[in-house]
Amino acid sequence: MSILEIKNVSKNFGGLAALGNVNLTIEEGSIHSLIGPNGAGKSTLLNVLIGLLEPDVGTVLFKGEPVLGKKPYEINQMGIGRVFQTPAIFDNLSVLENVAISSYAARDKGFSFNVFETPKTARPCIELAKETLQELGLYEKRREEAAHLSRGDKRRLEMAICLANRPDILLLDEPTAGMARADTENTIKLLQNISDRGGITMVIVEHDMNVVFSLSKKISVLAQGCIIAEGEPGDIKGNPKVVEAYLGESQE
Amino acid sequence: MSTPNSNFYKKDIVPVSIFALIFLTMPLWFSWIGGYGGLDTKIVIWVIFAVGFDLLLGYMGYLSFGHAAFFGTSAYVTGLMLLHYSDNIIPAFFMGVLAAVIMALIIGQLTLKRSGIYFSILTLAFGEMLHSLVLSTLQDWTGGDNGLTGLPTPMLFDLKMQGHNVYYLAVFIAIIMYYLARRIVRSPFGLMLSAIKTNPTRLEYTGVNVARYKLAGFVISAAYAGVAGALMIIYEPYVASEFMGWHLSGQVVIMSVIGGIGTLFGPMIGAAFMLYFENVASVALGGAWLLVLGLIFMFIVIFLPGGFVEAGRKVRARFFGGAS
Repeated sequence: MSILEIKNVSKNFGGLAALGNVNLTIEEGSIHSLIGPNGAGKSTLLNVLIGLLEPDVGTVLFKGEPVLGKKPYEINQMGIGRVFQTPAIFDNLSVLENVAISSYAARDKGFSFNVFETPKTARPCIELAKETLQELGLYEKRREEAAHLSRGDKRRLEMAICLANRPDILLLDEPTAGMARADTENTIKLLQNISDRGGITMVIVEHDMNVVFSLSKKISVLAQGCIIAEGEPGDIKGNPKVVEAYLGESQE
Repeated sequence: MSTPNSNFYKKDIVPVSIFALIFLTMPLWFSWIGGYGGLDTKIVIWVIFAVGFDLLLGYMGYLSFGHAAFFGTSAYVTGLMLLHYSDNIIPAFFMGVLAAVIMALIIGQLTLKRSGIYFSILTLAFGEMLHSLVLSTLQDWTGGDNGLTGLPTPMLFDLKMQGHNVYYLAVFIAIIMYYLARRIVRSPFGLMLSAIKTNPTRLEYTGVNVARYKLAGFVISAAYAGVAGALMIIYEPYVASEFMGWHLSGQVVIMSVIGGIGTLFGPMIGAAFMLYFENVASVALGGAWLLVLGLIFMFIVIFLPGGFVEAGRKVRARFFGGAS
């Protein structure tokens, strides 16, 4: 069953067509990668999905509901989580507070003047945050200030923030960019675990082919704003169109 | 800001009790250090203003250079209510604070679209616009440059609001306002304000309506300014046009920075320090007082960015080995 549908989406920046009539369907529970050479439109597409960019034409449906025109927090409330390229966390807060923000946000539907929150009323949110930290192996560090975490732990914390409001789908923008080999391997395992346990759908934009082929159930290849190939990792590997898009002139 | 736990209530009771004790006994000991009646009331009023300002600057990370707009709006409305409606302070006080809140809703909607220096400049511009309105367009109502004069003695039913009466009223309100501020910063709401300061983008993508939290934080902070403005008129029934001016906005910024922002406690000390020295030490220093204040301000910004609170922590760490 499809969870996210992108229909006839086009986006121009001045004279440049960043996305040209893109159609894409993401299946529920799958890990779907978007790959393509630099400037292919991957990030533009991701930004359209999270409401950062409004396409010129086209629609995006999440569980049958239109996404476009909604504010980023409303899109998140629908169940779409976003993981940034550089881990985006709340540096001056403790690890637990970082994650609690997310569980409060989910409970309060984005806003509450909960000044008189008591330990009792807050408990479900705190428990959920602790549970999420346990899942990601950060529970022991819950009292530490987030700024002091290692890069790998910061990535984990960001994942915890995204997961604590129990999203249906996670959009990840180059989750292993700039990481050392060992960190990359850990991230692959982490994402695989999350996907296996929670049944969360993931859309990953990634350059590292090792990551893409280890994780993805399905891959879409973008080039010059269009999807030129789509299929399972095995189909994509030998696809001549994909080789051409990546290697370009050397084919001629 | 911390997540609620079993010590939750204790954590408020102790500091609020100390706060209450210091201010309730202040008239007894204030004269020993050269203070005089009236100055203590002013200090309490400014403490309220500074605590509210810290919610915005210290926790949410928004530096307003126009908070006089809310102090002044409330002061004028309180004054006008006393003059034209009733000398009872209750309706005057509430209308004053309400006016400040409404003003903050309008100004906040417009200025919070920007952050950093742009926000500061916008608030300064709005503050100055209101100041010039008070001086020119609305001068039939506000008394222009001369301020609003001829107010009756404020009354709390049959009780004349003078001397100690005003002082204890101000302290009573200050205790409530301080308690509320502590609850705010330690609640999930306060957690969101702190998160706005660190990473508003992440917050928005975590499903939080950042714009609404920002507006709420701004309005709360303005309400504190409004409470202070109204109390100032009850203390001294005369509305000076300077209550709307940028000088007053700047003063609360300086107090907060000297004391140590983001601590609630720091800006209070900053407010008390500035008023005390302005009124007591300036007698000895004469006109050089502002120069000395400037030097103190520079020293703190350069060497102690955390203000008096940081200085206190450093001293404690050195002599008692506590956590810095």
